[in-house]
Amino acid sequence: MSEAELEGRLHPLAVLVFARRYASASLIPVVALLISLGTRVLVPLIVSVLVIVVPLAVLWWWRFTYRVAGGRLEVRSGLVNRTIKVVPLDRVRGVDLTAPFFHRLLDLVKVDIEAAAGGRDKAELSLAAVSHREGEALRERLLARARVEEPAEPPALYRATPGLLAVGGLLSGRYLLAPAAIVGLLFRLAEDLPGGIVERGTEALIDRAPTGAAGITITVVTALVLVGALAAGGSLLVDWGFTLRSERDRLTAQRGLLTHRTVSIDRGRIRGLDVRDTPLRRPFRLAGITAIAGGVRRAGGRTTLAPVVRSDDVLPLLRSIDPLAPDPRAALVAHPRTARGRRFVRAVPLPALATAGAIALGWWWAAVAGLVLTAVMAQVAIDRYRQLGHRFDGRRLTLRGGSLTRRWTELDPAEIVSFELRRSPGQRRAGLATVVVHLGEGAGSRRALDAGEEQARPLLAELHPRLFAPLVRQSP
Amino acid sequence: MILREPAEALDVRMRTVWALEGAIVAALVAFAVAVTVVVLVVQDASTAAWIVGVAGAAAVLVSALVLVWLRPSHDHRYFRYEVTELGLYVARGWLWRRWQVVPHARIETVDIKSGPILRAFGLVAVQVATAAAGGGTEIPGLELPAADALVEDLAHRAGIEEPQ
Repeated sequence: MSEAELEGRLHPLAVLVFARRYASASLIPVVALLISLGTRVLVPLIVSVLVIVVPLAVLWWWRFTYRVAGGRLEVRSGLVNRTIKVVPLDRVRGVDLTAPFFHRLLDLVKVDIEAAAGGRDKAELSLAAVSHREGEALRERLLARARVEEPAEPPALYRATPGLLAVGGLLSGRYLLAPAAIVGLLFRLAEDLPGGIVERGTEALIDRAPTGAAGITITVVTALVLVGALAAGGSLLVDWGFTLRSERDRLTAQRGLLTHRTVSIDRGRIRGLDVRDTPLRRPFRLAGITAIAGGVRRAGGRTTLAPVVRSDDVLPLLRSIDPLAPDPRAALVAHPRTARGRRFVRAVPLPALATAGAIALGWWWAAVAGLVLTAVMAQVAIDRYRQLGHRFDGRRLTLRGGSLTRRWTELDPAEIVSFELRRSPGQRRAGLATVVVHLGEGAGSRRALDAGEEQARPLLAELHPRLFAPLVRQSP
Repeated sequence: MILREPAEALDVRMRTVWALEGAIVAALVAFAVAVTVVVLVVQDASTAAWIVGVAGAAAVLVSALVLVWLRPSHDHRYFRYEVTELGLYVARGWLWRRWQVVPHARIETVDIKSGPILRAFGLVAVQVATAAAGGGTEIPGLELPAADALVEDLAHRAGIEEPQ
């Protein structure tokens, strides 16, 4: 296989990126110096930066080279201790292009290369800053094992419209809660400022706070609108222009307004697909799709394939990724009625106990609130039971669970690394068991909670007939 | 019953090993209680010393009962394993029972390990790792020849080659 060599350095502007990294790393000591010694250290400081940091950054840039040739990627780096990292191209699992804000100003991208390094460990290489074009070329080169000419841009499997993203942000707990977290953080920071700014500000606000019903309504509505706008804005910021493409044997997701991200995963690493929805999204018939993938850095091996999708579009999208994917709306094997009792036992006693306590103490308001909570939890328990289900259609295993956040999962049983059956004393009494399937390489595990005895046995026997044939006992 | 129980049991000495480990923990608890009581007596807080002494003695007694007698015997009785044609089958736990089935083809490494207590009893533990973090398993107490045979058998079936 004759391949053109690809060789180079980082972009010259990478010096700036590197200098900035030095600067932010030394920010705290520098500030400490300034505070303790006053501004008279400013001039020596600037001089030392110019004399030490910039030449160091330039040297570092000059000594950092990469080379793609002979079926492998070599990265040489280091000023005094030279490091050479070599990754065979067929070990490259993914190439992520990220453009943080600073990079985008300079039209640069950061390239992260994930590689499987024998066994379970992952090797990782990172090129701090290359030009956008070079980054794309590198990605193509690293991921293409036998390159053939292909259309410039394959058609998108999924594309998020701004409207969909805004609605999705509004209806997602993550983005709704983020503004509150930011406000809390700002308060914490402001408290450390001298002069009691927070106290004075709060007092001024309270003095001016509207007291009339109309005033309060306006304030509350304004606050709600503000929170909603921030939530929608957050979602738009992170997932702007989210596009999922299929490029031969890999999927590529691009997204982001300020920080641009491109994530590629091998199709072969996808163990299954998750479809989730939440109580806020359900009435609007929206869901999110993630891939369960092995050898990916992200938590639990989940990679977002579509942040917000209309439920009518879910099945076509699933099938475009996994042609054998079952329909999420199809009926599943329901778990036995005894599982419902167990869901109640989990959900109801705590609020019920709190209610009883409140009644005993004569706290009527708390008792009413407790009663409402108990009723809600009972509903959740019923719903959690209704959601439980599994099905194996001979090619794909489907599992469903959860109530507030519902998760529907489809898996290829060939990807299961090991099987586990769990039984607590309560489950034994109820004739139930939990079937757990472990997926390899950080992809986590999935379970069928509280399946019946007579369901767990055939399920295991069908998932891996030859493995379980000697183990399943015939029912008496 | 959903799956039949695996055929093999652990070495009986494993019961003693676990009991010894439990005894060490119980002794540490007893030591902590004794130190606290002495400190309280020196401080002239005799009521507190009595309370700590009685409660501590009860705690030591209960933990000794559970850790030295109940758990080792039950852990031993309810731990079973078997190498089947296509997989390693391990069942453990008395109240919370777990049955693990790891296909040979999915086994990545098989290790033999032994701590000082295990070694004193001439036992070793066999650890089986897969690509999935939660997918591996362990057989805690086997005689060395039995463990060697097991490791060889598993490695052979898993297609893991001996390092040169």
